[in-house]
Amino acid sequence: MISLRHILRLATLYIATLLCGCMEWDYGYTEDFSFRGRGLYIINEGNFQYGNASLSYYNPDTKKIENEVFFRANGMKLGDVAQSMTVRNGIGWIVVNNSHVIFAIDLNTAKEKGRITNLTSPRYIHFLSDEKAYVTQIWDNRIFIINPKKFEITGYIECPGMTMENGSTEQMVQWGKYVYVNCWSYQNRILKIDTTTDKVVGELEVGIQPTSLKLDCNGKLWTVTDGGYENSPYGYEAPSLYRIDAESFTIEQEFHFHKGDAPSEVMLNGSGDKIYWINDDIWEMDVTASHLPIRPFLPYNNTIYYGLTIDPKTNDVYIADAIDYQQQGKIYRYSAQGELIDEFYVGIIPGAFGWK
Amino acid sequence: MAGNSLRMKRFIHILAISLLLTPSLWAQNDSSRHNISIDEVTIVGKRPMKEIGIQQTKLDSAILKENIALSIADVLTFNSSIFVKSYGRATLSTVAFRGTEASHTQVTWNGMRINNPMLGMVDFSMIPSYFIDDASLLHGSSSVNETGGGLGGAVKLSTKAADADGFGLQYIQGVGSFNTFDEFLRLTYGNDHWQLSTRIVYSSSPNDYKFVNREKKENIYDEQMNIIGQYYPTMRNRSGAYKDLHILQEAYYNTGRGSRFGLNAWYINSNRELPRLTVDYGDEKAFENRQREETFRGILSWDFLRSNWKVGAKAGYTYSWMPYDYRRDVGNGNMVSMIRARNKVNTVYGQAEAEYYIGKKWLFTASLSAYQHFALNRDKNIITTEGNSRIVGYNKARVEVSSSVSAKWKPYERVGLALTLREDMFGRDYSPIIPAFFIDGVISKRGNVVAKASVSRNYRFPTLNDLYFLPGGNPNLEKENGWSYDGGLSFAVSKKNKYSLSGSATWFESRIRDWIIWLPSPMGYYKPTNIELVHSYGLELKSNFSLQLLSDLLFDLGATYSWTPSIDYGKNLSEADRSYGKQLVYIPLHSAAATATLSWRKWSLLYKWCYYSERYTMSSNDIMLTGKLPEYFMNNIAIEKIFSTRWAELSVKGSVNNLFDEEYMSVLSRPMPGINFEIFLGITPKWGKN
Repeated sequence: MISLRHILRLATLYIATLLCGCMEWDYGYTEDFSFRGRGLYIINEGNFQYGNASLSYYNPDTKKIENEVFFRANGMKLGDVAQSMTVRNGIGWIVVNNSHVIFAIDLNTAKEKGRITNLTSPRYIHFLSDEKAYVTQIWDNRIFIINPKKFEITGYIECPGMTMENGSTEQMVQWGKYVYVNCWSYQNRILKIDTTTDKVVGELEVGIQPTSLKLDCNGKLWTVTDGGYENSPYGYEAPSLYRIDAESFTIEQEFHFHKGDAPSEVMLNGSGDKIYWINDDIWEMDVTASHLPIRPFLPYNNTIYYGLTIDPKTNDVYIADAIDYQQQGKIYRYSAQGELIDEFYVGIIPGAFGWK
Repeated sequence: MAGNSLRMKRFIHILAISLLLTPSLWAQNDSSRHNISIDEVTIVGKRPMKEIGIQQTKLDSAILKENIALSIADVLTFNSSIFVKSYGRATLSTVAFRGTEASHTQVTWNGMRINNPMLGMVDFSMIPSYFIDDASLLHGSSSVNETGGGLGGAVKLSTKAADADGFGLQYIQGVGSFNTFDEFLRLTYGNDHWQLSTRIVYSSSPNDYKFVNREKKENIYDEQMNIIGQYYPTMRNRSGAYKDLHILQEAYYNTGRGSRFGLNAWYINSNRELPRLTVDYGDEKAFENRQREETFRGILSWDFLRSNWKVGAKAGYTYSWMPYDYRRDVGNGNMVSMIRARNKVNTVYGQAEAEYYIGKKWLFTASLSAYQHFALNRDKNIITTEGNSRIVGYNKARVEVSSSVSAKWKPYERVGLALTLREDMFGRDYSPIIPAFFIDGVISKRGNVVAKASVSRNYRFPTLNDLYFLPGGNPNLEKENGWSYDGGLSFAVSKKNKYSLSGSATWFESRIRDWIIWLPSPMGYYKPTNIELVHSYGLELKSNFSLQLLSDLLFDLGATYSWTPSIDYGKNLSEADRSYGKQLVYIPLHSAAATATLSWRKWSLLYKWCYYSERYTMSSNDIMLTGKLPEYFMNNIAIEKIFSTRWAELSVKGSVNNLFDEEYMSVLSRPMPGINFEIFLGITPKWGKN
């Protein structure tokens, strides 16, 4: 019995020690960054519902990478599913889709300058002026009009042919007074918006689910469809790349892919005369070409390329590899000639970029 | 370095507790919890043929009925070595054995498998512990005796006849923090042949607990909209309200001539909001995120018993309707649907089983069960290119048949051997024969030292969502398959009305191939895929210690500890992939729990404690500032007093959860409640039976 009592006493002692334990959280610290010169912000989407999106900063001259700069500069998380970044006048506007927010950050310090909240499910922001911008949404049939100076929502553009449930507006480009936007999820159209009236004034049917939209140096819009997916009630077809004349808003040329291909991420180089996209491999094509290239710019390398950007100054090609979507993704930097220059790890699911 | 030494110190403490207090076979202490006395333990004599080599944790009714407000998820957190992953209070909670996933845990209720055929898992927050009279956890290979597909194990939940004599009534009301109300009513009636019972549980709460949100900051602006200050806001857990109603009707009829008939019918009506993430910047009134569930489970059973054989049959039906709505205010309070998902499952079930003893040395069993599922998934309304309305979803039926035979043999009193062979068929796909072999032996009668070991092969078929969900469903998925091994020692010593001490230590190992995991795809949606190999291994310790301090003062302590490395040995996806050889995400390497009870006359004091080590959120096991889930300890305390009067027994109980007001999360961006309280008042009229 004595030994049992001894055990009991020991147990009580151990329990008493343990009760005082508490979680170790890293809160409240901030760092002062001073990013000089040119730089590349990498938007790491993070896992849906886990709120682990992050922001990385890369200096292409020194090849130095800093990860989680938003958290480190501001002492708070970036949010859930960071979708895109738009740079304007020294401010980076980061759209965080499932956090219903757009953060404005100082590009030199990564510190927050303000935020626009209560968006439905924002995807991209496009500026018309210092006091007016459009924000596209998924699960909403409206494009939000905001005042970036006051960080407030000022109005909506109703988009025809969609409800809240199948609403989807994505990337925007501007030609004169018109903004064009591709409609992706269970959609097949490019919309034309008159920015003076904030009304949809035209729509153009393309293939199933156009994923991106760019405007080249010749005033031509480029979009690529993903063709939907097998058994989709919306349909499933071979994807296509489209060249559309912005002025007449008509399709000039359609480039066909094979059924089952998944092209995405149409990008332009700095001078706007070459387009790039991902379709397992990385592809490059002159904007005046009449056929798809036969050989890729960079061949598929047993990995899943998820994001793409071209340095507007040097035309270096940056490719984001999400690996297994559950670990730090990797960025590969290639020269315009396809030679590997650098590689570095960033955050979870790097998908979008912003050039400083 | 300081952090490492602190972690090491805590680890040693936990291990020390588990070893010193030495592990438990909960079942042996059922009576001690109520009767305030300790019986002699005679494990050797109590080794039933059916349990040869079985690794199981039994949860007795004292543990299950400790608190009417608890779900089975809460009970398992504090009383077992399995991992409970909770998204919040009264929110999705899943359990997983030995470093596996929630879908590797098969769950049966009165013999009928209740895993959702679309999702493969069970939400344990939807099972009130007060509705379960008997719960057993069958670890690893041991699950093959009950069902197929339990690559981690199985949870066996049962209800039992109330053993009532005449009419009985029990009513308990709980009132707690965050305007929480829990009501429990049980009516019973029994005589020589009939046992009837009706149980109702109703729980509701706005669930708007306060927490300091350290993952976002509020801005203070000047007139020019420059930020002049920032702070971490103290927020409420908005959009977390719940209203859950459960009704359980049971009827048992015993002919007295060997036949027993049973009816179990369980109805659930749940309406829960899904709490917001910590990083949500939407207006809390502008969004509604709601999950509802209406489920009915009914089972009719018949058993016929003779001295050396038994046959039984069951027929059952499950209906489950699960709507999910995500809506937003588009102005003037007009809430419009963004997502309007509807899932419906109808399942018809039948089972037949038989047991046959030859003397005291042989037991043969056979079982055949069949489930016919009809599943309807309506996920999204769209408009086609032709302008027609269509629904994204699937409508599928699947038959699932599982049959098993087993032979159990005790060549000597001290040695038992068992072989189970199982065959599963899902749709048109068959598993090869699933073998499971068990052995146990008494090493020492004096210390009741028993050694056990088992080995099994097992398969788990893809769920209906894995195969057919749009978009992403992958009809080309392989079924998961794996080998599991375990071996361990247990002992039990006691002295009547003095003390009892029991414990077990089990080593386990499993290798699962073609593990199914949902990953995002470049197309913008998640898609399930098979990963090559996951290797889990580790150690489970269980202990129980009871000490009779005085004739009417009893101390009882149960503790568990698990060490569960779960290593991804899948092929690297590319050179950049750093997940090879790393712990799987969200599975803690160390977990421990302990429950201590001090009972004195009609008073009892209960202390519950649990621990989870830091969990990785990245497959590379890197820890980033935005992906940290630090270790946490949880402490709950409760005190209860029972008053006996001539006409009724009254109980008053007060409980404090999260005693040290710890800020913690089980899942990223999901804050858990701080300290909270609940008081329970119970009445059980004696109806003249005093």
